[in-house]
Amino acid sequence: MQENRTRYPGYDLLKEKDHWDDHTRAIVLKRLGPFEKHKFLNQHEADLIAAIAKHILYDERKELLDYVLHHIDNKLSSPIGEDQRKVGTPDQKVLIREGLKALDKLAQKQYGAPFLEVDPQPQLLLLSALAAGKAAPMTEWQTIPQKELFKKLATQITSAYYSHPTVWSEIGYGGPAYPRGYVRVEKGLTDPWEAKRNAQES
Amino acid sequence: MPKNHDYVQHDCDHYDGHRNNHLGKRKYSDGADICIVGAGAAGGVLAYELSKAGFKVVVIDAGPFWNPQTDFASDELSMQSLAWNDTRLVAGSDPLSMGHNNSGRGVGGGTVHFTGVFYRFHESDFMVKTVDGVADDWPIRYEDLEPYYAKIEKDIAVSGPKHFPWGPFQGPYPYPEREPISANALIFREGCAKLGLKSTVAPLAILSAPFDGRPPCINRGFCNQGCLPNAKFSTLIHHIPKAIKHGAEVLSDCMVTHVDVDKTGLVTGVTFVHDDKEYFQKAKITIISAFCIETPRLLLHSACPQFPDGLANSSGMVGKELMTHSAHDIFAKFHDEVRIYKGTPVLAVSQDFYETDQSRGFVRGYTFNAHGSRPLGLAKNLVAKAGIWGQKLYDIMRDYNFFAQITMVGEVLPNVNNSVTLSDEKDEYGMPRPLVTFGYSVNDNKLIAHAVAKANDILEAAGGKPAFVIPDTGHLMGTCRMGNDPSTSVVDGFCRSHDIPNLYICSAAAFVTSGGGNPTETVMAIAARTADHIIEEASKGE
Repeated sequence: MQENRTRYPGYDLLKEKDHWDDHTRAIVLKRLGPFEKHKFLNQHEADLIAAIAKHILYDERKELLDYVLHHIDNKLSSPIGEDQRKVGTPDQKVLIREGLKALDKLAQKQYGAPFLEVDPQPQLLLLSALAAGKAAPMTEWQTIPQKELFKKLATQITSAYYSHPTVWSEIGYGGPAYPRGYVRVEKGLTDPWEAKRNAQES
Repeated sequence: MPKNHDYVQHDCDHYDGHRNNHLGKRKYSDGADICIVGAGAAGGVLAYELSKAGFKVVVIDAGPFWNPQTDFASDELSMQSLAWNDTRLVAGSDPLSMGHNNSGRGVGGGTVHFTGVFYRFHESDFMVKTVDGVADDWPIRYEDLEPYYAKIEKDIAVSGPKHFPWGPFQGPYPYPEREPISANALIFREGCAKLGLKSTVAPLAILSAPFDGRPPCINRGFCNQGCLPNAKFSTLIHHIPKAIKHGAEVLSDCMVTHVDVDKTGLVTGVTFVHDDKEYFQKAKITIISAFCIETPRLLLHSACPQFPDGLANSSGMVGKELMTHSAHDIFAKFHDEVRIYKGTPVLAVSQDFYETDQSRGFVRGYTFNAHGSRPLGLAKNLVAKAGIWGQKLYDIMRDYNFFAQITMVGEVLPNVNNSVTLSDEKDEYGMPRPLVTFGYSVNDNKLIAHAVAKANDILEAAGGKPAFVIPDTGHLMGTCRMGNDPSTSVVDGFCRSHDIPNLYICSAAAFVTSGGGNPTETVMAIAARTADHIIEEASKGE
C-alpha cells in the first residue's frame, strides 16, 4: 500500500500556512495532533475503525488514522445531527457501536476469529460484503442495515482523511488561499507556491 | 453604480449588540407588523423590502448570525456547520442527501454556501402543462417576474456575459462577466465549441468589480464554504444589514416551533425557543420563509382545532410535490492538470438542452455548469454516492488534479408521492422529525441518462477520457405550491395562503415546477414580488 503516494514529491502545503487567515490556520493545524483521549469510542472500537479505515483509504499511516479516529469520536460525542438518516436505521451512535459488534460476530462466523484477528484479505471480503448488503445472514442486520453501516463509517473516515494537510499535499491540492486568493487560474498556469509535478514524470 | 442605490453605511459583517441579549426586551416584543421565519434567500429580500417600506419587521432564524471574518474558514470539513445538520429521516427509491447538499442554517440561509450561479427561469418553466402536457402551470408567468428579476440583478450587481443566448433575457448583466475563467471552465467551453454547442461565462451573484463597499472575487474557490472576502452575495451581508438599518430586528439562534392562530382563524404570531426558553412573537402578518422541509414541518406541526390537518392545508398539499434537481457530476481525465480546486466553482455554462425536444424521448431539460470540486466533497461523494472506495478511491484521488468536471442541473417533475411528512421520532424541541420521501420518475431518469451522455461527449471533444459519474442532487423546491385553485394548491401567486389571509409562505416551497437551472434568483424575485404585494395591500388599508 505504501508505494509512491504522490505525483508532487517536493510539495508541502503547510509551508504556505503563514499566508492563511488565523481561523483557517488554527483549524487545519489541529489536525496534526496531539489528540485528546476518546470520549465515545472504547479502545476496541477505535482499533476496529482504524482497521476498517486502512481498507477504505488504502493507507496504513498511524498519524493519519489517529486524526480519522479523533474526528469520528468527536462526531459521535456531539449532539449535532447527522444531516439525514434512512428510515429504519438507528441513530449513528447506535449504528456504529452495535454495527462494530456485529462485524466481529460476522468475522467469527465466517472465519472463526474476531475481525482484528482475521487476515487483511478476508477483512476486505467482509467489508465488500457489507458495502453490497450481502454479508452472511445474522439477526443483527434487521436493526443494523449493512449498507448504511458501511456508508456511515466510510463517509466519516474519508471526510477526515481528505481534510488532513498531509493528504492535501500528496494530491497536489492548493488548499486555503485567503487573503491572497489564486491569481493564475487560467489553463496551464499556476501560482508560484502551488504544487509542481516531478519533472521526470510524463 | 446605480443611482439612488441604498449604500451600506456600516461594517457589513456582524451585528453584535444589535439584538438585546434579553429576549424579553426585544424591539417589537409588543407586536410587529411582519414576522418572517427564516433569514435566507427569500426572508432576506422580504425583510429588506418591507422594512424599507416602513413596516416593523422581525426576522427569526434558527441558526447563528455569522461573522464571515471569524466564523468562516477555507476548509470544507469545518464549514459543514453552515448547513442544516439536524437529522432528517429520508426514504423513497432515491433517498435525498440533506445537510450541506441543500439546506442552510443561520442568517443568510443557503445563500451563505451556494455557488452563486444566478439564472432566470425561462418562459416555458411557468407553463409546463400548456407547453408539454405534464405537471401544472404556475399561476404567474415569466412577465410577472421579469421586473423583479431585473431589480434583483441590479440590486446585487450580478456579473455575466454581454449576450446570454438562452431564454427571454439575453443580457447584458449589470456587471461585466468574470475573467479570467478557470481551466475547468475553459475545457468545458472548448468541448462545447467542438460540438457546435453554445456556452457562456456563468451569470453569477459574485462581483467582477467593486460594489457597495465589497471587493471583486479573488478566486479563492470556497464559495460553498462561505465567502471570506464578501465578494459573493448573500442575504447575510447584503439584505439583512440593510434591513437592520431600516429598523428590522433579527433574532438569531431562535428556533420557531409553532405558528399560533386565534379563534377567528387568523395567525397571531409564532412561538420560538432560545436557550431552552420559550417566547412568543406577536405580528399582524406572518411569513414562513423556511425553505422546503422546515416550512411544511412547521405548518403541519402547528395543527390546532381550527386547522386539524395543519395550517394552510385544506388542500392537503402542504408537504406534497417535493422536488430537487438531478445534479449528477460527470468527470473525465486529462493528460494535463486541470486543478478543479482553483477559482469560482462555476465559471462556464450551457443551456442548449434546457427546453423540451421531443426527439430526445423525454420532456423538459437541463443546464450544464462546468463545476469545480474540493478534495473532501469529491472523496465523500465518491464513497457515499458512487460506492467507490479502497484502492479505486485512492487511485482517483492521487490524480485529483487531472480531472475536469461538468455538473448537470436537471428538471425533476412534481410527483405527489415525493413529500415531507411528520415522523414518529422527536427532536430536541419535542417537534416530530420530518420524513423526506423522494424517488425519480421515468422521465427524470431518461433526462439524466441524456445529460450524462452529452456531458461525456463534451469532455471527450475537449480531449478528456470519460472516467466516472457521481449520481447527485441539488436544491429543493415545492411542498407548498402556488396556484389559483385553493383545492389543489397552498398559496396564491403572491405567496399568500388560500386558507389564512395573514399567513404567507414565501420561498422555493412555493414553486410549482423545478425549472432546469439553479433556482435562487427565482426565489428572490418571487420574494420581491410578494413584498410589493404586501406593501400595496397595506396602502389599500387591508
